[in-house]
Amino acid sequence: MTRTRQGLLIAAALVLSVKSASSHHSFSAVYDDKRTISVTGVVRQFRFVNPHALMSVEVTDDEGKVVQWTVEFAGRLNLSEVGWTAESVKSGERVTVTGNPAHTIPARMSFLRLVRPDGTVLLPAGPRRADAIEEERRERARLRNQQK
Amino acid sequence: MISKSTATGLILLVLVGSAATVGAQSAPSTLEGMWSNPPTKAIGVFCAFFCTDAGIDRLNALLDDPANDVRPFQQLQSEAAAYQTNGYIRPRLTAAALKTYPVDPADDPGLLRCEAWGLARQMFAPHQLEIHRRGNDLVELHYGEWDARRTVYMDGRKRPANQPSSRLGFSVGRWEGATLVVETTGVSKNLTSWRSEHSDQLHVIERFTRSAKDNTLLLTAIIEDPWSLKEPIVAKKIWAWSPTSQIAPYENCEPITAVKRGTGQP
Repeated sequence: MTRTRQGLLIAAALVLSVKSASSHHSFSAVYDDKRTISVTGVVRQFRFVNPHALMSVEVTDDEGKVVQWTVEFAGRLNLSEVGWTAESVKSGERVTVTGNPAHTIPARMSFLRLVRPDGTVLLPAGPRRADAIEEERRERARLRNQQK
Repeated sequence: MISKSTATGLILLVLVGSAATVGAQSAPSTLEGMWSNPPTKAIGVFCAFFCTDAGIDRLNALLDDPANDVRPFQQLQSEAAAYQTNGYIRPRLTAAALKTYPVDPADDPGLLRCEAWGLARQMFAPHQLEIHRRGNDLVELHYGEWDARRTVYMDGRKRPANQPSSRLGFSVGRWEGATLVVETTGVSKNLTSWRSEHSDQLHVIERFTRSAKDNTLLLTAIIEDPWSLKEPIVAKKIWAWSPTSQIAPYENCEPITAVKRGTGQP
């Protein structure tokens, strides 16, 4: 049984595509937003810091080799706005994390989604932003149609 | 009769003003206090780093076209941004600036060396902006991004003739009614938010105004630089009133050296 699940997934449902305005640096030079990847492993550290929160996940591959993945998040402010705290992810937790892989840095991704074994899901701010914008667009269309 | 840009500004204020009503607390009596990420509205997201009237007009036109109702917002945002770049920013750049425009994201000193931004990016930085008056003579602008601080001298002084240029420059200000006007010179050569290079002749006038509903802050900045610009660029930025937000330490920047070139073509 593969303990490391890596693969190209069909990228970017709309809810994942509204990038947060979080970056102190360019996302595109580091991460590939055309691809997503998922790994399952044990959290070793979650740092709720600026400019970007970081998480280390220990992932064991098919041969039993342990690989330390680094997951980069938005900064504290953007995560806080959707309820994240320093305690949102705990060391020792087993998680499946999905993100955009780095172009050239091995075992590094930009965070999109975290799932715990009990099915709990943690998301960045992007999906909520996307929902709000789609609601605004629906309202805009409704007002436009009323004026006809 | 109002001009197109004025109308755009009004639309912007109405949009962001109505957007931030939910959850907003009582607004400040002045500009003082904590402002943060813009309201989660199409224009707010579009202006998260900077925007122009040209880009806002384009985005509004796209959003108002029923044919676009089924298109993802990100497509419309990208189309408006491309229009803004090619129809507004690029035509204003001099031949000297066009030689390196747009600077490759892989060459960003903030990314490679955790080098804090210069004024032409910092003033449009995402996240918080805290405005403090220090008596009648000083205003401090404190940004969440890079934990950067600017001092604005309100006492009428001039920039000392022998003062060397610096990353955030030398700022003097005045109040025009409730509007804070800040004029900055003495900025070292650096990058703009639209990834062009500028010289140390950069001259910026920022105007900070509250929305009519007192819950959003609008920055309109006029940027001039004889080396990089044939004519001024007028760029905007929005924040939402956020009195409970706190600026966290900015102490864990890690330089990234393994980057891919050529990813930032507009």
